Amino acid sequence: MKGLGADKPYWDSLLEGKVRLQQCAKCSKWNWPAVYRCGDCGSWDHTWTEIETKGKIYSWTRCWYDFGVPKEYVAPFVSVVVELNNAAKTRLLGTLNQGDAEVHIGDPVEGHIEFCTFDNEKIPALRWTRTTAQEKSS
Amino acid sequence: MSISKFCGGVAAAGVGLCQYKRGQAPMPEQGVLIKAITEACEDAGFNPADIDGFVSYGDDNNEPVRLMPDLGTKELRLNSQVWGGGGGGIAAAFGIAAAAIGSGQADAVVVFRALVQDNSGRMSAAVMRHHLNDHIISAGILAPAQICALRAQRMFEYYGVPQSVTEELVKASYYHGSRNPDAMSYGKELDLDAYRNGRWISEPFRLFDCSRENDGAGAILLVSAERAKDLRKPPVHLLGVANGAQKGWGDLLENDIHYASAGFQPIAKRLWQQTGLSPKDVDVVQLYENFSAQGIASLIDHGFCNYENVTDVIKFENLIAPCGNLPVNTSGGNFAQGFIHGFGTAVESVRVLRGESANPVPNAKVCLLAGGPGAPTVSSALFGSSSL
Ligand SMILES: [Zn+2]
Repeated sequence: MKGLGADKPYWDSLLEGKVRLQQCAKCSKWNWPAVYRCGDCGSWDHTWTEIETKGKIYSWTRCWYDFGVPKEYVAPFVSVVVELNNAAKTRLLGTLNQGDAEVHIGDPVEGHIEFCTFDNEKIPALRWTRTTAQEKSS
Repeated sequence: MSISKFCGGVAAAGVGLCQYKRGQAPMPEQGVLIKAITEACEDAGFNPADIDGFVSYGDDNNEPVRLMPDLGTKELRLNSQVWGGGGGGIAAAFGIAAAAIGSGQADAVVVFRALVQDNSGRMSAAVMRHHLNDHIISAGILAPAQICALRAQRMFEYYGVPQSVTEELVKASYYHGSRNPDAMSYGKELDLDAYRNGRWISEPFRLFDCSRENDGAGAILLVSAERAKDLRKPPVHLLGVANGAQKGWGDLLENDIHYASAGFQPIAKRLWQQTGLSPKDVDVVQLYENFSAQGIASLIDHGFCNYENVTDVIKFENLIAPCGNLPVNTSGGNFAQGFIHGFGTAVESVRVLRGESANPVPNAKVCLLAGGPGAPTVSSALFGSSSL
């Protein structure tokens, strides 16, 4: 994996089908990107907490140009920044599973893990689904 | 206002810019760079062999020691580069050069950037290589356009900045570029229909919301203000430089606090404090626009307008020389003049204050160089004319 280093447990947990984020064991701060040392309190101890992958769209872009992205994403596809409902509103990245959907900032979404392929390597990825319709009907 | 004594007084004494269509440079990158540096020296009336320092930015590939044989360099005393993959470091490079001159580490420093596709590949790809990791790759994000699009979308949709302002900015850049014989767009004003209906790149960006890419190289020679007095051209003084990022901004996997900004708020604040100047003292802006929306965000961050009055300020008539209140990109900028990682905006900062611009701004005394917006670290500089 070509992550950032301190985030190895994140990638490991994705392979187990779970999303875990890093929290400082001393001051409870959610650090993302993951850190070795908590910049706020100086602690080197962290916990990796499983989070519910629910949030809302913080921003989005629908890409129409072939920039050489993983082959699973066929233009036009939508990349999203999702603000989680929990984990101190940490933002995670991913793609929307409906490339042609009318998207709005604030739309509620739910994520699950899929794999994409880049440089002949499988990378776990967050795939997000808009949940507005379901919520309206319930 | 009095002439700033930033780093004891440092001035731009010569500029050189060699620009070609992407993929069409007549020489490899290092040769084009040597040409730009010698042009800057000719402009200043300065012997290239006496250059003793070099500073670049944006992961430039041309290590200064390799330039020595061609330039006849007598002694290399400063070779440095600003960290960061994008154009965010462009103004910061002038800060390093000035600090070296002011502290006596070097006497004659060239700030440069060279890019020839055959040698360094596509500029956008090179910038992105600096930032790639599995987080963004797995989100399908492989280009600066997509990152900037995400931030632009937030500015438009959440903060309510009307998208129409980008057209005003792009139109102004092309207005200037069409009147600049050295610009790629010389003789061609913006085709509004083509702008509005251009193909989508990454929403909200269409084709003409994205800067061009060119082959070429640029160089600016800096010396002490004292020494500059004896050279060929009127000196243009470096009044101040600010660079960096504040907590909550940077390479944060899109967790930046002021997400829709261009990252300049703390940098601009420091620049105004450092120089005692404010946006109202600025006569002309050379605005690095990688993408149209980031140019707007940069002007907002620097305090020229805000989310509420952005449409009053960013208007075509306001942005063009000679009569606009805030002439922007008098050479055409990255959109219309050409794009060698933004170096044209730095060169134009000097030219416009010498009165050499193709679109002169009468009596312009202070020029803001606003560096690459939206990068994890950004920088800005203020230049002042010799009459300041
Ligand atoms: Zn902590």
